[in-house]
Amino acid sequence: MTDAGTSDSNAPNPALRVDDAAALADRIIENVERVIVGHHDAIEHILVTLLARGHLLLEDVPGVGKTMLARAVATSVDCSFKRVQFTPDLLPSDVTGVSVFNQKTRDFEFREGPVFANVVLGDEINRAPPKTQAALLEAMEERQVTVDGETRTLPDPFFVIATQNDVESGRTYDLPIAEIDRFTKKLELGYPDESQETELLGRVAGRHPIEELEPVASVEDVRDARETVANVGVSEPVRAYVSRLATFTRDRAPLGVSPRGGIALVRAAQARAILDGRDYVLPDDVQTEARTVWSHRIQAGTDDTGESVVAAALDGVPVE
Amino acid sequence: MSVSTPLRETADFRLAALLSVALLTFSYTSVLYHVTDVVGGRTLMIVLIVGALAFAVAVGRVLRVRTAVFLTALLLGGGLVTYFLSVPASQRALISPGRVGEDTLALLTGLSILRLAEANVWALSVTPGPVFLSWYFAVRDRFGWSVVVGGVALGLVVLTGDAGTVTTLAGVVGAVGAVGFGAFDRYGGSAVQFDTLVVLLATMIVVSASLSLVPGGAADPALPSRSSTTVEANLVEAEDRIDVLGSIRLSPEVRFTVRSAEGEYWQTATFNRYTGSGWVRAGETTAYEDNLRYPPGASRSLEQTVTAKTTLGAMPAAWRPVDVDGPAAAETLVTPQGGLRPRTAVETNASYTVTSRIPEYTPERLRRAGTDYPDYVEAQYLQLPESTPDRVRQLTDEVTANESTPYGKATAIEAYLEATKEYSLTVERPSGDIADSFLFEMDAGYCTYYATTMVAMLRSEGVPARFITGYTSGERTSDEWVVRGLDSHAWVQVYFPDVGWVRFDPTPADSRETAERTRLAEARQNANADVDTSATEPDAGTATPTPTPMPTPSDSETQNVTPSQSNVDAVEERVEASATPVSPVDTGSGGLPELPSRRVLALWGVALVGVSAGARRTGLSRRLHRAVWLRYQPRSGDPDADAVRAFRRLEHLLERQYRAREASETPRAYVRSVARTADSERMQAVLGAYERARYGSGLTRADADAAVRTVDELVRESTYPGRLRSS
Repeated sequence: MTDAGTSDSNAPNPALRVDDAAALADRIIENVERVIVGHHDAIEHILVTLLARGHLLLEDVPGVGKTMLARAVATSVDCSFKRVQFTPDLLPSDVTGVSVFNQKTRDFEFREGPVFANVVLGDEINRAPPKTQAALLEAMEERQVTVDGETRTLPDPFFVIATQNDVESGRTYDLPIAEIDRFTKKLELGYPDESQETELLGRVAGRHPIEELEPVASVEDVRDARETVANVGVSEPVRAYVSRLATFTRDRAPLGVSPRGGIALVRAAQARAILDGRDYVLPDDVQTEARTVWSHRIQAGTDDTGESVVAAALDGVPVE
Repeated sequence: MSVSTPLRETADFRLAALLSVALLTFSYTSVLYHVTDVVGGRTLMIVLIVGALAFAVAVGRVLRVRTAVFLTALLLGGGLVTYFLSVPASQRALISPGRVGEDTLALLTGLSILRLAEANVWALSVTPGPVFLSWYFAVRDRFGWSVVVGGVALGLVVLTGDAGTVTTLAGVVGAVGAVGFGAFDRYGGSAVQFDTLVVLLATMIVVSASLSLVPGGAADPALPSRSSTTVEANLVEAEDRIDVLGSIRLSPEVRFTVRSAEGEYWQTATFNRYTGSGWVRAGETTAYEDNLRYPPGASRSLEQTVTAKTTLGAMPAAWRPVDVDGPAAAETLVTPQGGLRPRTAVETNASYTVTSRIPEYTPERLRRAGTDYPDYVEAQYLQLPESTPDRVRQLTDEVTANESTPYGKATAIEAYLEATKEYSLTVERPSGDIADSFLFEMDAGYCTYYATTMVAMLRSEGVPARFITGYTSGERTSDEWVVRGLDSHAWVQVYFPDVGWVRFDPTPADSRETAERTRLAEARQNANADVDTSATEPDAGTATPTPTPMPTPSDSETQNVTPSQSNVDAVEERVEASATPVSPVDTGSGGLPELPSRRVLALWGVALVGVSAGARRTGLSRRLHRAVWLRYQPRSGDPDADAVRAFRRLEHLLERQYRAREASETPRAYVRSVARTADSERMQAVLGAYERARYGSGLTRADADAAVRTVDELVRESTYPGRLRSS
């Protein structure tokens, strides 16, 4: 426990008080910001994804700090971190692990793949062939992997940050919508503005600050905070609002938001409420989360993008 | 508020349309039902209406239109054949294609259905057809056609004059409603259209009920008009039907003079069918031929020469006219009841000579007459509406308990009425059965009430009687009787076997004559023209009171019940009052303010509905409601609900000062965007309470009260313009 002095921090349910969970999130964000310049919103979104038990897809041009961001988050929480560079020749077993024959014991022995970690960074996931992508995506959904008929549970928390870039599109395997739906959020980082870039260059001139980053939270803390988030109240008007929004996207786009997308949005909104120190969700939380949680899930028509459909839904659906 | 959103489910419009068709159906079937109520067969009528309706609903979806129309034609045709077969043979001989055409024309120009010989059979025959077809179309959602069918039926009963204003209005409102709601149902109606239709219907009701371009008859406006009619216009000028009215006046103008050896009651019309609210003369008139029937018993001859002093629509003559002399004979019609009618009006100063046979009898002879009535008398003159309350018969039983002969009963009833009711021309027309109301609810009335009640009572005892209108004998001059409008009168004839029709006059003679004399004196004082002939100038000194009605009724039994002097004074006062606008005679409610009649109240109700629909359309009621709603918040038991409402009030306040919240805007974003003043703190507090109440786990009572109080403050402050923004 990070704040053992408070009286009901030991209350069985939720494991962490709302204030404490909010403070925890603030600490992590602050810590990450020591490494990452700008992108405050993006860091919040990552925290929200982590607390909402989701996974994150970062899409952007190379070199804007996607990997650094993932590493900073993993380092801030004192947990295991592994990275997989997806390449066209990567095999599924390179991700999940493989059983090898041990000559000494004369038995097969499982060598865990990089997926067995609390935070997994899948770099340039769209460069690997679909079969390999599928191995990671299944692990994300099931939180376990099955190798040679044996099911192995992945550590908890299990948080995948995948990156993809949309340059060099000729040499990539685009993730199909059905699979991309498994990511809670898709974020674009974008270039830092001039002042931010100036500061960034100043920070990294000597040693990179990531080398000196200290963890500010434990795996336990994250688990407890996730528990608290799951207990955030979602009232009937809010649920109805989410389902009206979903219906709107289904009417507007050829493929709208799935019920899984609705669930993801509610969880993200719960996490967002915690960031704001509330134990109930407001329509405002839903609005804040809708774009990043839903845009990538929508197969838009010719005149639309996923973003524009979500924006139209937020503009057109009444809040009650 | 978007005004073009569909207001209700289409099912509701359909229901409204069906209810409107029901109203239309009710309007014309109620008229036909009334016919069967008067003449008999009302149970069968209900069975037929319900049956036709149920049949239409049952087969409406299955039957093809052509089949349904054919079926309706069959129903109507079959019904009319039944009617033809049920008409007595004697009357059937009169039925020829030309005659049927004339009758149809007559029906469409105001001949009451009640005047048909077998009115009940006719009504029963024609009712099922339109009911079936109208509902057949209604069930198929073809409200236009349904209204066409129902409208034709309603139009028929309106043209016959049987449908009163309220009935007609109900039918028309039903028709318009059915078409309107039917169209909403089919094409989708909006709130605007709904309100417009309601305003239209309310306007129709209120305007048509308070104005009328067609005076007289059954189509009087529902609201009492400011002037009352005269006894004469009511009684004598009506040819075939009489509606009992409320307050009434006496006209002092001279109508005609009669050169006759004796003064008699000059009879103008005879009515056999009592409708509960008036009288109808049934049957067809025939052209006058020589040798009308004599009374069955002994009689003496009386020759009268009548000279019209104004245009006369009737031919006054003493009962029973048997011979008409001179050129007038060719222009005379004879009613089936034995009365005379001119084919066209008798012109001023024209004259005609009638010979009548006056029945001669003694009370003793009448007592012995027995009850062996001819069939036609029993068939026609014992009719009473089936809806006549039983207490009329019960009271009559009591009144006539000691009498065994029809004559005894007649005199007893006459005496009872003279003794218990006062004579007054200023009365409020009762809404129910006239006889019943006069007996049990009214203290006073005039001749029509007395005579109607006496006939109803006699008929309830099985004594054939009928209602007669005409004039009393008038003022005697040296050689003739001068008859004025104020002499018009209504009385009773009772049938005695082997004697014939014998006159009874239940109206207290003294009171009536006093009223008449007072009115005449007043008219003379005002120097009215046409009040006198040269022979009746006041200083001629020849005026004599009307002789006591000639036959026996005013024998010793009735002597002791003549009104006292004080009573006469009262009558004078009332007659005086009757010249001014209507003032109900008897309130009996002490100092309490008088309530308007139910009809007026109903009209006010309808007007209110229309006005409120209009107010809603113009947004007036919404603004009014908002203003009250904004200022006054009662606490409910639920703190959350209170906090939600407090925030709604705040929203409304901000809407008036800044802008409305967009539908897709969250409350928080809205408050943040508009409340940039020092008050934003208080507004944030109200918002927080709202959010916790609506999205969170709820509020405590104290928090909710605090929110309500904060909004109360904000509302109060905003009442002074500028305060909110400048503070």
